[in-house]
Amino acid sequence: MADVTVIARPATEGTRQALVLTEDRIGHYPEFRAFFVRTFDLDRVGLSEAGFVRAPSGMAYALVFVGRSGEPFPSGVEVYAIVDALEPLDDAVVDKDLWAILGWMIGGVGAPWSVEDLQATGRLYRIPAAG
Amino acid sequence: MTVNTLESVEGFHDKWPFAPHYVRVNGWRMHYVDEGAGDPVLLLHGNPTWGFLYRDVIPPLVKSGRRVLVPDMIGFGLSEKPAREQAHSLDGHIANLTGLVRQLDLQRLTVVCHDWGGPTGLGFAMSNPERVRALAVMSTWAWPTPPAEFHTRLFPWRTMHAPLVGPYLLGRHNVLARRGVYLSVVGRDKFRREAQPVYEAALPDAETRLLTWVWPRWIPLDDTARAQARFAWLEAELAKSRLPTLIIWGREDEVFDAATFAERFKRLLPHADGPHMVTGRHFLQEDSGPEIAGLIATFLDRLDRRGSA
Repeated sequence: MADVTVIARPATEGTRQALVLTEDRIGHYPEFRAFFVRTFDLDRVGLSEAGFVRAPSGMAYALVFVGRSGEPFPSGVEVYAIVDALEPLDDAVVDKDLWAILGWMIGGVGAPWSVEDLQATGRLYRIPAAG
Repeated sequence: MTVNTLESVEGFHDKWPFAPHYVRVNGWRMHYVDEGAGDPVLLLHGNPTWGFLYRDVIPPLVKSGRRVLVPDMIGFGLSEKPAREQAHSLDGHIANLTGLVRQLDLQRLTVVCHDWGGPTGLGFAMSNPERVRALAVMSTWAWPTPPAEFHTRLFPWRTMHAPLVGPYLLGRHNVLARRGVYLSVVGRDKFRREAQPVYEAALPDAETRLLTWVWPRWIPLDDTARAQARFAWLEAELAKSRLPTLIIWGREDEVFDAATFAERFKRLLPHADGPHMVTGRHFLQEDSGPEIAGLIATFLDRLDRRGSA
């Protein structure tokens, strides 16, 4: 899987944030929440700032974390592609980028979760990005 | 929206000629089929199907002199599909079913359960036993331990519905309706030709597929699971139940294998009739609809004779 890197907030003039994936329950397996807390320093940053990554296509994505009363933060996350303000998304590009972001996440969560299992699951269900 | 996408499936109305009915339960719009006359039989589907799963079961059951009701779970089929994960809970779905039955004032009900139709239908039956005459179970479970070893595995089950992975695979790519059901039937060519386009069309957009990754997350994997207490209650209530019960299972079912699951139902409900084995994997109605209808009708005929004796 191609690399995904954490980046500082990119320049956003002339862009829009296009919602491409939503997760309402990021702590369903708590190690996933812990990965995002660790990666984006969320215990300190809280809701003040989104997390940003650059995906293999070169496009930047914003990870907007969502809080819910009575639950550890974050409870959810919304993934936005940062794209030209008035241009439509290239869905195939976004799909490949999201697959790479998932691989980056699983790799960061660590054992027993594995990128190999993710790839095998993608192939079982014939996901184009899984090859 | 879903109606429009289903209309675009060639021959849909030939396969699904039943008139739609709607009620509002817990604020949600629920679709159901209501065919025939006689003692009511409630056919309950699970994930990711809808009433269409029972298309070959409905006509013979109606012909046998029963009123057949087939609701689509809120979140599937022609029922409303909430857009937030928090809209769904096992208790909420049991309450949805209870709302339907009370609005229609159904009595002497036979509750036929498959997949998540099991925990919801049996949950309804155990909390409303005065309305229930009999039960039938197929490829489902009703106890708090993980339903199958399959559900504890990282590949493919837990990875498939992991955070963000679930919304991607099951939401963006609809893999359960597109591939999962296909892998869990015996007659795959026939399924691909006749049924798969309908299941896909019933979940046309990513947000309409929410429940396909929410239900897997409600399967208890350990003592901290959200539904642990409800499943423990369900198992305890079933163990006390003397409701006539029919067990039907797919011979080729690899996920809810008969040796583990049908036999556990038999131990839980030793008076149950069966297990009766038919051709089928998890979605056994796709392979053996008329046979399943015949088994249910025969079982109910026997109850009728016993009742009139």
